[in-house]
Amino acid sequence: MPRLLLAWAAFAVIMLLLPQVVSPGTLRIIIFANFLAIFAMSWDFISGKTGYISFGHPFLIGIGAYTSAILSYRFGVPVSLSIPLAVLATMIGGTLFFLPALRIKGTYFALVTLAFMELMYQLVQVIRPDLTGGTRGISGIKTILSGAVPNFYLSFGLMFAIALALWLLSRTRIGTALDAISMNEEAVSGSGLNTTRLKLFAFMVSALVAGLGGAFYAHYLGSIAPRALFDINFVFTIIVSALIGGSSTVIGPIIGAYFMTFLLEYLRPVLPGSERYLVYGLIALVLYVYQPKGIMELLRKLGVRAGGGRTGRAGNV
Amino acid sequence: MSSLLVLDNVVKRFGGIVATNGLSFHVDRGESLALIGPNGAGKTTIFSLIMGEHRQNSGTIKLNGEEISNLPTHKRIQKGVARTYQVPRPFSEMDVAGNIRVGMMPDNLWQMITRGADPDGELAIARSVGFRDADLSRKPSELSMGDLRKLELARTLATRPEVMLLDEVFAGLTVGEIEQISHLLAEKRKQGLTYIIVSHDLRALEPLVDRAVAMTFGKAIAEGSFSDVMDDEAVRSAYLGQ
Repeated sequence: MPRLLLAWAAFAVIMLLLPQVVSPGTLRIIIFANFLAIFAMSWDFISGKTGYISFGHPFLIGIGAYTSAILSYRFGVPVSLSIPLAVLATMIGGTLFFLPALRIKGTYFALVTLAFMELMYQLVQVIRPDLTGGTRGISGIKTILSGAVPNFYLSFGLMFAIALALWLLSRTRIGTALDAISMNEEAVSGSGLNTTRLKLFAFMVSALVAGLGGAFYAHYLGSIAPRALFDINFVFTIIVSALIGGSSTVIGPIIGAYFMTFLLEYLRPVLPGSERYLVYGLIALVLYVYQPKGIMELLRKLGVRAGGGRTGRAGNV
Repeated sequence: MSSLLVLDNVVKRFGGIVATNGLSFHVDRGESLALIGPNGAGKTTIFSLIMGEHRQNSGTIKLNGEEISNLPTHKRIQKGVARTYQVPRPFSEMDVAGNIRVGMMPDNLWQMITRGADPDGELAIARSVGFRDADLSRKPSELSMGDLRKLELARTLATRPEVMLLDEVFAGLTVGEIEQISHLLAEKRKQGLTYIIVSHDLRALEPLVDRAVAMTFGKAIAEGSFSDVMDDEAVRSAYLGQ
């Protein structure tokens, strides 16, 4: 435990010193990576841990983003109030998202969550476009800070706090119980545990994180574009981040998000169109076939080899 | 002596098939009962009904005098009944200690977060089913069938049941492993554990039980001491088809 905490601290120090060495352009990429990491961690807390695969995470992120944007842009609610309200709204939305999980799992659940996202996309265009901005979305949303460096600190601080909280949470017995659900849900209820309540808890935590991320993201960008938000490519970017990083860990989705962001960014000059997604799909596929547990596991094995073959246990990271 | 678990006139139909046909039996505290019968007699269905994995069409199931038929599975376990499965169902990515940990958890989110695991308790349960200390960090994929049965027993015991339902605990085991598990059950019996056991291995069963209920086609056809039940005409013809 102390060694792992030290690793967290080292990670934080390196990141905090980063603005001294890299350009504002790179910082902006990292800001996006931080937000992607938040979304991937949120996704992983439902899907990586309990095994209920969500294809509709933008539904949750969208509730967070829209609620805070509408409250602050249309009604002049201060951001310090609109963000908590947005998180609350996302958690209420998360309960809706949870309902199908009572009855279905596997592919069926994934498809229903995809339907949630599509539904949300249609709804924001049809219902009260005067509030949501319809197809064009909202622009001119109040930003919290301006400039790459302050926004980098903000996004990193948020991401880091969420990561640390989720990491500590997953080290408790509730983390063990949620992991157990993905392995054998019947045996968890056969151990006298209320799996419905455990799953609801996971969904609420995931919604809280998605809501926070969505709201802060809207206030960072200053705009919401529904077509980019409720987009299957966005869903896949989130899922692939978590998977190639290392699902059911906390560090994994962060590594995955950074990897994905830089990959997409560096491919941009070479492949400006959506062919980029083909390349990342390929990389994800190869990595996933080679090491289903993701980059996290590759690093761990590398660490073990470097440590002279010591079977160091990475613990629940 | 008051009965710990009482089934009264329990009927369960799956479509047109009557799996349990007005079955009644009881088990007293501290008693061990064998449920015997040919394949398809409905033994495992009885366990599923007691655990709430299936709901009976009619009849009552009482634990400590309290009707439990309307409770979900996890509540029934909290009331003191637990089962093992014919095919062990461990948490595949967790080591032995982790598997036991899940069994020991309180059904309370707050306590799950604020209170840590109890390694000593996990070790005690693991030892009580015959694991060595080094086994605690082994994964189910590294365990033999006999050890998987032990793990199944350990995880079930971790819920602190008053009555345990043991489903085919000897299936797929070597002679040596059967001996080991038998010894373990005899030990638990001496300590006062109440259990209902289903097995095809009648020879292994006999020394482990106080009483037997024989059933076929979802009905009890004989009840009494193990040897009396085995000598029963109806039981013999059900088994041998005479």
